[in-house]
Amino acid sequence: MPELFHRKLERSAIGFVLAIIAAASVGGIVEIAPLFTIDETVEEAPDMRVYTPLELAGRNIYVREGCYACHSQMIRTLRDEVERYGPYSLAVESQFDRPMLWGSKRTGPDLARVGGKYSDFWHVAHLINPRDVVPESNMPAYAFLARTELRTSDLGQHLAAQQALGVPYTDEMIANAPRDAYGQAFPDSEAASGVTERYGEATSVSAFDGVATRLTEMDALVAYLQVLGRLTDAAFRDTAATEQAPDAED
Amino acid sequence: MFEISHETLVAFAKSWGLFYLMGFFLCVVAYAFWPSNRKRFDRAKTSILDREDKPWK
Amino acid sequence: MIRQLTSSERQFAAAILLLAAGVGLAMAATGRHDPLGVHGVIVLLFSGTLLYPVLTGFYEPEPKEDREASYYDDPIKVGIVLTMAWAVFGMFMGVWVAAQLAWPDLAFDAAWSTFGRLRPTHTSGVIFGFGGNALIATSFHVVQRTSRARLAGQFSPWFVLFGFNLFCVLAVSGYLLGVTQSKEYAEAEWYADIWLVIVWVTYFVLFLRTIARRREPHIYVANWYFMAFIVVVAILHIVNNLAVPVSWGHAKSYTIWPGVQDAMVQWWYGHNAVAFFLTAGFLGMLYYYLPVRAQRPIFSYRLSILSFWGITFFYMWAGSHHLHYTALPHWVQTLGMTFSVMLLVPSWASAGNALLTLNGAWHRVRDDATLRFMMAAAVFYGLSTFEGSFMAIRPVNALSHYTDWTVGHVHAGALGWVALITFGSLYTLVPTLWNRERMYSARLVEVHFWLAIAGTLIYVFAMWNSGIIQGLMWRTYTEDGALAYSFVDSLVAMYPYYIARAFGGFLFLIGAVVCCYNIWMTVRSVPLAKRRERDVPAAVAVPGE
Repeated sequence: MPELFHRKLERSAIGFVLAIIAAASVGGIVEIAPLFTIDETVEEAPDMRVYTPLELAGRNIYVREGCYACHSQMIRTLRDEVERYGPYSLAVESQFDRPMLWGSKRTGPDLARVGGKYSDFWHVAHLINPRDVVPESNMPAYAFLARTELRTSDLGQHLAAQQALGVPYTDEMIANAPRDAYGQAFPDSEAASGVTERYGEATSVSAFDGVATRLTEMDALVAYLQVLGRLTDAAFRDTAATEQAPDAED
Repeated sequence: MFEISHETLVAFAKSWGLFYLMGFFLCVVAYAFWPSNRKRFDRAKTSILDREDKPWK
Repeated sequence: MIRQLTSSERQFAAAILLLAAGVGLAMAATGRHDPLGVHGVIVLLFSGTLLYPVLTGFYEPEPKEDREASYYDDPIKVGIVLTMAWAVFGMFMGVWVAAQLAWPDLAFDAAWSTFGRLRPTHTSGVIFGFGGNALIATSFHVVQRTSRARLAGQFSPWFVLFGFNLFCVLAVSGYLLGVTQSKEYAEAEWYADIWLVIVWVTYFVLFLRTIARRREPHIYVANWYFMAFIVVVAILHIVNNLAVPVSWGHAKSYTIWPGVQDAMVQWWYGHNAVAFFLTAGFLGMLYYYLPVRAQRPIFSYRLSILSFWGITFFYMWAGSHHLHYTALPHWVQTLGMTFSVMLLVPSWASAGNALLTLNGAWHRVRDDATLRFMMAAAVFYGLSTFEGSFMAIRPVNALSHYTDWTVGHVHAGALGWVALITFGSLYTLVPTLWNRERMYSARLVEVHFWLAIAGTLIYVFAMWNSGIIQGLMWRTYTEDGALAYSFVDSLVAMYPYYIARAFGGFLFLIGAVVCCYNIWMTVRSVPLAKRRERDVPAAVAVPGE
């Protein structure tokens, strides 16, 4: 391609391309570059834990099914949102989230703090057929999740990839990933104690899908939904006053 | 290694971004209104309406 | 098609396809316990299918005529066919998902037919499949005609076209299989993304080399827009899709951007995909096909230059308006809002320039539905850019964000602007390209026009209503300061609008089917145009001033 750079016309075409890059990239650089140092401004959350292997698997199911298309995970600083969903979301709460699932549309409600709001049983019934629980709902039925065995063999690889990106998973967590995924959904098994050892006493260990014989995708998704908003309590400690929606009529 | 703090970056973005914008705008206006460019613009404007349908080669 | 290639070009094509088939085989082997394996098989089948015509035509006689003396139109023709195929597929998926929101049981008891998996097949199908193919096809046409030069490659146009369609196939089939990054409008996974980079770099080099073949010092403005589209989409695509795959045998990857950075990068991408995929490229179409169809030069060439740089510069800053009132730093939100409002200036300059070009030819707009498509597109472009700037203002966004208003806004742009300008351009391009006197039926163009307009208006009005009602219900308080409505209350209020929206989309889909039929019949049964125009010997271009 060196001949491209010789003729005058070609030089002007290339100069033109460079001008486009100059014009277009600066906005991105100016806006995004400061975000590389944003960890200096993000709130502290020393109590925050990482997702357990089961929760991460559940999160990947949430990603796979495109739940973000109808559910946000970002409570804005507006008064009505805080009253409806709970304290507004902090940047630190999604520090381990790849990708972030803030969403852009609420065909269904925000899920940033749905963890612990409903029972495991409710979630399972709701996912199998939403209209059994909420007759007006237009959410798809996810009955197949309860029928599908969860793939755990590669969870160690998933954790290792996250570790490579800077999420503080220990080598021990990676080595025990499939075992911990199993243990979290089988409270009576030997593997269960390892989960609380590695991820903290507050970690919920439960037969999420109500069936203690097999580990399904339903277990994983419910485990994830139940931990949403509960990895840290930073948002309950130091959030400022909310903003009034500008023209709310009250 | 030199450290760039968040404040420095933000200040840079906020001030120089604006100068960049204005400089860029002036260059574009100068190009669009440069008298000797008028001829080539007029040519470009009308040449696409030629009924010609063959490469120049 | 193969006849146009020399034997060394045929060998090269076969080698590339064999290489692609080999990669497919390797993917199928390493990913045999993963959806990646299925994609390996798809790559294998795709390259195998294309290999068939290459091998059967391998020993055909070589082209004898001077290929540089004519334009290279075969890839454009295939591109138009693919454009329409994706239009029907993407719009059908859109109608289906719209109907699912009104009647949630319109799904099978299987993972692939849930809303979450179908929705990206609609968005990718129409944006990349329909829009992308239309852009590639028209850019190949415009760059050749405005540069008075044949495409600077015999094999590479095919590589770009089919390579891009392979990306689309991988993306869409991936969503059905559950392969997605859940990054809006960038859902395709890492291997498809890498493939798109290769295709895109080829596209860029091809376009640049074709422009470099021109004789005039000046590059016509439509090519500027296409160039900006190609260059900036490459930057956006690469930055947003940086990711680490779980392993070489996994379709799944994790983005390198965490949390708030990911949000900013994602919407910097998302908004500029609208700017450079759905605006810049289509403005390129507008600046060529509108003057050609109206047989009038563009109203102000200077204005088109000013608005080009305005759009290229301002859009890049505007992405953060998608993240008002979130955990994104406040100053970034304000910057995004400011530039979004400033964007109105170059956007309206473009829309105004298009409409003023038609000034004095309104009788032709009245009589010619093709020209009316383009005029309506310019009007919708003006309206939806105004709406976009308005919605980027923080207090307005507090109401509109997360609601159907956003969906309505996107469709005012996507149906009203992108699709209408595309159809207008196709109706101009098809008879020229196949050397036909005219389209098969002017009445069917007219029918398509009114179906498209009615569909768009029904859709947009339904979404305005539902969005604003939803937003207001969420923030309404009772006398004693409690929230007046539950979330489910607001959902129940949406159902009538969801039905209306599905109906609007259905009308639009029917219009696209009518267009397919009209194009098909034009190619099949309209008599050839008289050769008059083509026989004129090439006038020598004036080499610059």
